[in-house]
Amino acid sequence: MGFFTKLLETSRVKSPWIVHFDCGSCNGCDIEILACLTPIYDVERFGILNIGNPKHADILIVSGTVNHRNAKVLRNVYDQMPEPRAVIAIGACGTSGGIFREAYNVVGGVDKVIPVDVYVPGCPAKPEAIIDGVVLALGKLKEQRTAKDTDSLAAELHQAREFYANRADRQVVE
Amino acid sequence: MDIKSIIFVILALIFAPVAGGFLAGIDRRLTAWCQGRFGPPILQPFYDVFKLLGKDRQVVNTWQIFCAHIYLISSMLSLALFAMQSDLLMIFFVMTIGAVFMVIGALSTPSPYSQIGAQRELIQMLTYEPLLVIVFVGIYFVTGSFKISDIVAYDRPIFLILPLLYLVLTFALTIKLRKSPFDISACHHGHQEIVRGVLTEYSGPYLAILEIAHWYDIVLILAICSLFWTTSAIGMFFLLAITYLAEIVIDNITPRLTWKWMLTYVWAVGITLSLFNMALLYAKSF
Amino acid sequence: MVSQMVWVSIVLPFLAAIGCLIDSKPLRSILVVGTGVAVSLASLLLVQGQAFSLNPETIFGIPADGLIAVLDFALLFVILGISYQLKNKLIAVLTVLQIIPLAFLELFLHGAENTAPSIYGDQLSMIMSLIISIIGSLICIYGLSYMEEHEHHLHVEKSRQGRFFFFMVLFLGAMNGLVFANNLLWLYFFWEVTTLCSFMLIKHDGTDIAVANATRALWMNMLGGVAFILGLVILRAKGLPLALQELISTPGVASLALLPVGLLCFAGFTKSAQVPFQSWLCGAMVAPTPVSALLHSSTMVKAGVYLVIRLAPAFAGTLFSHYVALFGAFTFLTTALLAISQSNGKKILAYSTISNLGMIIACAGINTPAAMAAAILLIVFHAISKGLMFLCVGTIEQRIGSRDIEDMRGLIRIMPRTAMIAVIGMVTMFLPPFGALLSKWMAVEASARLPLVVLMLAIGSAFTMVFWGRWLGLVMTSVMGEAQEPEEQSPLVRVPLVILAAAAIVVSFVAPGLYSAMVLPVLERFYSTDLYIAAQGVFINNIGMFAVFPIFLVMVLGVAWAARASSGKRVHQRAYSTPYVAGLQDPANPQRIGFKGPLGQWANFTTSNYYMDAWIGEGRISGWINLISSGILIILLTGVL
Repeated sequence: MGFFTKLLETSRVKSPWIVHFDCGSCNGCDIEILACLTPIYDVERFGILNIGNPKHADILIVSGTVNHRNAKVLRNVYDQMPEPRAVIAIGACGTSGGIFREAYNVVGGVDKVIPVDVYVPGCPAKPEAIIDGVVLALGKLKEQRTAKDTDSLAAELHQAREFYANRADRQVVE
Repeated sequence: MDIKSIIFVILALIFAPVAGGFLAGIDRRLTAWCQGRFGPPILQPFYDVFKLLGKDRQVVNTWQIFCAHIYLISSMLSLALFAMQSDLLMIFFVMTIGAVFMVIGALSTPSPYSQIGAQRELIQMLTYEPLLVIVFVGIYFVTGSFKISDIVAYDRPIFLILPLLYLVLTFALTIKLRKSPFDISACHHGHQEIVRGVLTEYSGPYLAILEIAHWYDIVLILAICSLFWTTSAIGMFFLLAITYLAEIVIDNITPRLTWKWMLTYVWAVGITLSLFNMALLYAKSF
Repeated sequence: MVSQMVWVSIVLPFLAAIGCLIDSKPLRSILVVGTGVAVSLASLLLVQGQAFSLNPETIFGIPADGLIAVLDFALLFVILGISYQLKNKLIAVLTVLQIIPLAFLELFLHGAENTAPSIYGDQLSMIMSLIISIIGSLICIYGLSYMEEHEHHLHVEKSRQGRFFFFMVLFLGAMNGLVFANNLLWLYFFWEVTTLCSFMLIKHDGTDIAVANATRALWMNMLGGVAFILGLVILRAKGLPLALQELISTPGVASLALLPVGLLCFAGFTKSAQVPFQSWLCGAMVAPTPVSALLHSSTMVKAGVYLVIRLAPAFAGTLFSHYVALFGAFTFLTTALLAISQSNGKKILAYSTISNLGMIIACAGINTPAAMAAAILLIVFHAISKGLMFLCVGTIEQRIGSRDIEDMRGLIRIMPRTAMIAVIGMVTMFLPPFGALLSKWMAVEASARLPLVVLMLAIGSAFTMVFWGRWLGLVMTSVMGEAQEPEEQSPLVRVPLVILAAAAIVVSFVAPGLYSAMVLPVLERFYSTDLYIAAQGVFINNIGMFAVFPIFLVMVLGVAWAARASSGKRVHQRAYSTPYVAGLQDPANPQRIGFKGPLGQWANFTTSNYYMDAWIGEGRISGWINLISSGILIILLTGVL
């Protein structure tokens, strides 16, 4: 492994910028996510920044159930994140749809719309668990290459995305 | 141009971003400390920039790429001109190229966030540019030259003659560093605000290029500050250290206000202070 | 040789103008292009030589001075007739106020016999003549195609192009006459001819607003004319020569002739539309764009600053000089501020023109060699870039049907070539290493000893950056993946645009050479210390330096690097993304800029510049500006009494 590749990998692990997307959560998980930024947990120790803009971010943190209206927005936000990127679903709702799973307007968990790398359960998820989830996602981020590195990988990623988007049972109803 | 100044230019171009990155790291650490947190490692800005350089490219149009590169070039050129000890006012105008092109790049995308950011950035430039010119004119008043080689050769610390103008310069420094209360176009700490204004549409490697160019700019402005105490290295170091610490403290204790307030406040205070300092100079010379 | 060239520059356009009245399109095109080429060549040949002076006794067998006097009266009576037609008493009074002193001067006052040559050309005249002949001709050629389109658009039944080109071509001759005239009575004649041309061309479209604005332009310029002729009468009464060169090289003239010099400067201020006379130039923007480009940006308004620069050595070192500097700087500051509040492209250009003229006048008032160098260089660079910008706006307006800069968003997509040329025009107006900025740098360094002036120049130059910067950004607004439409253009439009754009860059690059060859000889006659020396592409004097060549070199390499990095080939299709709108965009159609609002309705969003109309709107601050500037003017003129 060349020096620059190694430097790049270290940098990726040391500087995960997250963007938080609230898919109609009850705010329980949102408050816990924000709690991570407070002096008690201080995630900036690990170089984690809560960035508001998906174009700058590496990790997308989604809380709440996905419904038909915001599924498209979630997808759009995900699409605007440049590779390499990872997705973390937070809380019972984010991972599976939670208690709203059977509601008429709900699509389900985040993974019905975009590929999810890490699931953090809990109702709400504890800040420690969220930090743990980010660390897990970092492992996945480290392994990823940008689309520039290999075209075959890019094709694979593309395929995976198409697969998720087009699965019959997880089709988003417009 | 002799061999010595060429070496000096090359050294400046290599070490300026390193120094700028370290300064940004220390800045983040101290800010965290002010807020009762532990803070990121000192090397954090470098990790951020390397990571961004390794990310996929994503642009709205190709102008953004063009503008980001021009910003970097002009910042490097203005620092190189400083290292060659040329004309202060010329360096300032060269620096403007980059700032203007960064705004153009932001305006070239139809995102409302970056449009608002760009408009505010223009107002920020409008605010600090006259002040910088006034400071240079003040320096000329004392040393009789706009050339850095002559200013460096002046035998007294200019700070002692122009203390108020130095304050005016720190206004410009605060705006250029994107520090509160003048960080209205894109804040260095508030990452969620107008989703970072003028930087909204720059992402990945282009954001990294802007960050590196920003480091060059910081070093250049601090270098201009250092002209106020050229007689001894210790004096220069303390002047810069105190200035930078004061910037961090001000950043942490002030809220962000509107551009109207910024423009009127900075101009009113800045121009008054400079006229006052000039009047003092005149009074002394009689 | 020299005398033939001068005749070609001055008399040929007068003759060709009469030919233009014949209503034949091919003939008119040949006349305009032919005159343009002839005067351009003549001015280029003149530059080869040294300073010269001529004293023609007769023109076509008629005594020259007598002919000019007769033409002078004829011209004034024409204007009197116009005032009768317009039923405008003010203009009538102002005309009579010129006829009476002129008659008094010609018939009763025979002071010192005029032995000085009537025509004198040094490098300053040659620079002006180059600008008039080359840029002016290019604009006239552009006008051929523009006016076709213009009349087609307005559904004019009977073409009025004959009249239009009569005045355009006539104007070229009058301007050349103005810059070569040494006899002040000759200069006065050409001065009045440009006033008349300006009036006729502003009201060319014949709409109510055009006539109203033309009338305003006429009376303001006539006011300047009154000051001019009064200045001449006082000069003659004091027994001073009515000749420019003799006047400024007479020792001790500052104490003797400050009043007439002040009056002549006042005439220059009105011609250059300095505040409080800025309204006529803004009103003149109703004229067809070639008129705005030729008369109201690159040439005619330069006549005023030319006169002030010429007279500057006569008032060097006086308090009057300081006030002129203050007055010019005030104009620079306030009109740049007004330009920020405008969204009408032509008005921005108009205010920016006045602003630059203000800077030139401020430089003349600062009256040091560095400032004078700045003034002369700024005349050149401003003429090229501003002429180019006007032609661009005219072309854009004919295509998109609007001159509002908000409507120019994304212009790069609709008219890629013209937009790129406009970008060059704007960049050369306000960024280094181009000439306009070089002159600004010289001006700021030269004014450093005058705190109030340098303060106004510093703030004004920041304003300048704001309104150019955002216009530049707007033009480039685009979303990728859109195919750029090919742009069709007549060569009569394309060629002037391309030549001017190339000239804007090339002349900036050769600025050091231009300075050594053309500006330095003019300055050396009156100033001996603190001159800039342009060696190896670097301007240097005892207080500063500007490295033109090194900055050019680095920026050219940088632009090449940036252009390579951003070329379409190197950016993969996958890299294109939609602008960030909080995830509400429509990824299927990135060109559609907006979001899906409530009930699935598509909502476009609009963004606009900050115009700060509530703060600095034209109606809001113009009154204050006029008041303050009138105050400065009154102090200026009472000071010289």
